[in-house]
Amino acid sequence: MSDFFHMGGYAAYIWSVMGVALFFMLLEPFLLVLKRRSILQEIKRNKRLEERRARDKGKT
Amino acid sequence: MKINWFKYAAPMNFYSLAGKMIPFFWIAAVVFTAIGLYIGFFKTPDAIDNGMKQYYRIIFVHVAASWMAMWLYGVMVFWALIGVIFNTRISYMLASATSITGTLMTIIALISGAIWGKTSWGTWWDWDPKLTTFLILLFVYIGYIALQSAIEDTRRSDKASALLALVGLAIVPVIYYAVNCPDPNQCASLHQESSLKRIEPNILTAMLVTTLGFWMYSFATILMRTKNIILQRERKTNWVANLPEVIAGGKK
Repeated sequence: MSDFFHMGGYAAYIWSVMGVALFFMLLEPFLLVLKRRSILQEIKRNKRLEERRARDKGKT
Repeated sequence: MKINWFKYAAPMNFYSLAGKMIPFFWIAAVVFTAIGLYIGFFKTPDAIDNGMKQYYRIIFVHVAASWMAMWLYGVMVFWALIGVIFNTRISYMLASATSITGTLMTIIALISGAIWGKTSWGTWWDWDPKLTTFLILLFVYIGYIALQSAIEDTRRSDKASALLALVGLAIVPVIYYAVNCPDPNQCASLHQESSLKRIEPNILTAMLVTTLGFWMYSFATILMRTKNIILQRERKTNWVANLPEVIAGGKK
């Protein structure tokens, strides 16, 4: 097993390439999910504001 | 079965279709990439004929990312072109969503290429035609993204960046010929010639399957981003206000 990770002395190069790819390919979907949450939150906030405004208008 | 394609040009319909497709693309991405890398690491020889040692395993990621970087540029231009011709908003959104994943793939290709260069040629970077043209591809992607975010009006920014994408298409054949140079003596290229035909079958399989995994990954993230763009651009419409994810948890 350690032979496998050693990669004939090229471990640093091979595993850093795999690491870079993994890092970016996890980062991208993670940021996309964060972005989606913030957009949805903003939409909800605006919706609530509008509903409140409509209700206040009804009172007066 | 007849599918009405124009139905899905409406952002509302596309949004729900994309939502259904994303999980399948994620599963396919993980499965194909895992199989590809498994073959690449366990079913291939430790050294290949032309003197390359284990470090050649970098290519599984490097080639997949480089191919994706170029193909996604084609995908982006395709959607930009459809947008210009049919004036469908969803095509522009897809083009814009593709540009970010394309940029990411270009960055992975450049970094893995630099590490490859260090082991194979003894240098991180060289102004070799292939490397230089790939760097230009990165700048074209960045230019597209920058132009899109620089113009406030979405209609105008969509059109302007679509034109930039079309002009930038000129770099793709240059990259292709930089690595598949007809006469190596005239190209003075450090980068290995692309040699799909002479390659070991298992190495080729590993490369192709990993690339398929990267394709699925790209579809998944592009669709996720397109959904985000749709939400952002359509946030004032009724259908967005009535989406379950907007109604759910909408406490007072």
